[in-house]
Amino acid sequence: MKLRLEGIGHAFLGRTVFEGLDLSLDPGEVVALIGPSGCGKTTVLQIAAGLIDPLRGRVRRAYQRHAVVFQEARLLPWMTARDNIAYGLRVAGARKKPRLGIAERRAREVGLHPNDLDKFPIELSGGMRQRAAVARALAIDPDVVFFDEPFTAVDVGLKRILQDLVIEAAAREHFSALFVTHDLSEAVRVAHRLVVLSGHQQGIVADRVIAGQPGQRSDRDIFEIVEAWSRDPAFTELFDGGRDT
Amino acid sequence: MKPVAHSLALAGWAGRYLWSGWAGAAGLFCFAAAWQAGHEFYGSFVLPSPLETLDAVAALMREPQFAEAAKATALRSLAGFALATGIGTTAGAIAGYSFAAMRLMRPIVTVILGVPPIAWIVLALIWFGSTGGSAVLTVVVAALPISFAGGLEGVATRDRALDAMARSFGAGMWTRFRTVTAPHLVSYLFPAWTTTAGTAWKVTVMAELLSNSGGIGGDLATARALFDIPRVMALIVVVVAFALFTEYALLHPLRDQLERWRSAGLPWGVKR
Repeated sequence: MKLRLEGIGHAFLGRTVFEGLDLSLDPGEVVALIGPSGCGKTTVLQIAAGLIDPLRGRVRRAYQRHAVVFQEARLLPWMTARDNIAYGLRVAGARKKPRLGIAERRAREVGLHPNDLDKFPIELSGGMRQRAAVARALAIDPDVVFFDEPFTAVDVGLKRILQDLVIEAAAREHFSALFVTHDLSEAVRVAHRLVVLSGHQQGIVADRVIAGQPGQRSDRDIFEIVEAWSRDPAFTELFDGGRDT
Repeated sequence: MKPVAHSLALAGWAGRYLWSGWAGAAGLFCFAAAWQAGHEFYGSFVLPSPLETLDAVAALMREPQFAEAAKATALRSLAGFALATGIGTTAGAIAGYSFAAMRLMRPIVTVILGVPPIAWIVLALIWFGSTGGSAVLTVVVAALPISFAGGLEGVATRDRALDAMARSFGAGMWTRFRTVTAPHLVSYLFPAWTTTAGTAWKVTVMAELLSNSGGIGGDLATARALFDIPRVMALIVVVVAFALFTEYALLHPLRDQLERWRSAGLPWGVKR
């Protein structure tokens, strides 16, 4: 067990988002957290990553380092791509030379060209920025990575490439990951286990192990799993646009 | 390889910066032409020609006392600038972080803004007498609110999403200020600082003239008493030249170096 959320509850301005939520991450496990928009997926992730404190419950962490990949790349506009990728290492106190070396290696892994490393984020395309954000997270050798709908804003082809990057990195480096998304087929593609968060403050309504290993499921397998689950009552909220609030 | 590329980039920037000086020079020469026209209309006694003024400037430069006076004025305006930007920026930044501090400091700044500068000079004269202190105080009081507003706006509009990103890597307060807030703050501070630099020169000369405490302002008072109009013009030109020098030779190059990332995204033809 790398991370465990126990009886977490949170509210914004008195409005309860969720109550009594339990969630755990095993070593090397990628868990996809899915739910309709506004159900508090991002809040769960922020609590797990320590960015906000939960009102109730506790978070147990059994690891050294974590990293977050946000929905937007969140690169510092005044630093070059190279310095941005090395940012986490800089915060951790790594020296300039080794940290830039690591940044270059990680940039290669996510498919950034060495010539792009001296550019500022404003000169990079959206996909390149998101690659840099993934490289920045991987650069600190994290034990746990939190992904907050990281590939929502990129086009379909690139989305696949970036998902594959995450799948490969998770298999190679055995980090655990919490992958928040609202896209069921993305979740089925990248994760070992799927957790569905209710849109009606009922906490977790489904917790399923996805058959096969990420990266080894064919497009047909993924399609069939998504098809079967979309008829499942636990998933109806996801596809039911008329959420009453 | 790397230092070569770096110095090449620097040389390219310096070339572009100097070249952009032509546009500024063209503007100044238009102004000089209007000045010459005024001179021809009103005569030398009211408005000496640009050439006469330049002669007077050359004569000034040869006087050993003038160097002393210019140094005194420069030191006073520098001290005023440093104090005004230092105190103003720090207070503004604190107010940007803390709502309570902002509530407390805003009225103080409004009060400072409300008191006319000439009243500050009178007060400063009583407190400091005919020393440089009165000029420095007047500069600080006149220029502090601008830096305060710049610091406040800069910190208040910091990108909280980037701040959260830095926190997710475990960055402490100071690291986050240095890497996330400060670079953003710079773009708010530079307009405030350039205004302050200009104000510092003007207000120093004014305070010197009124408090009779030497410097270029003191020279100006003497020249006025003697009706030495070319010398008055020459002193004005010198002060303007100092102000232009601080802005274009010191502050703008510094800003360009700090904000290289901003111009990086512009298409080639739009740079400068």
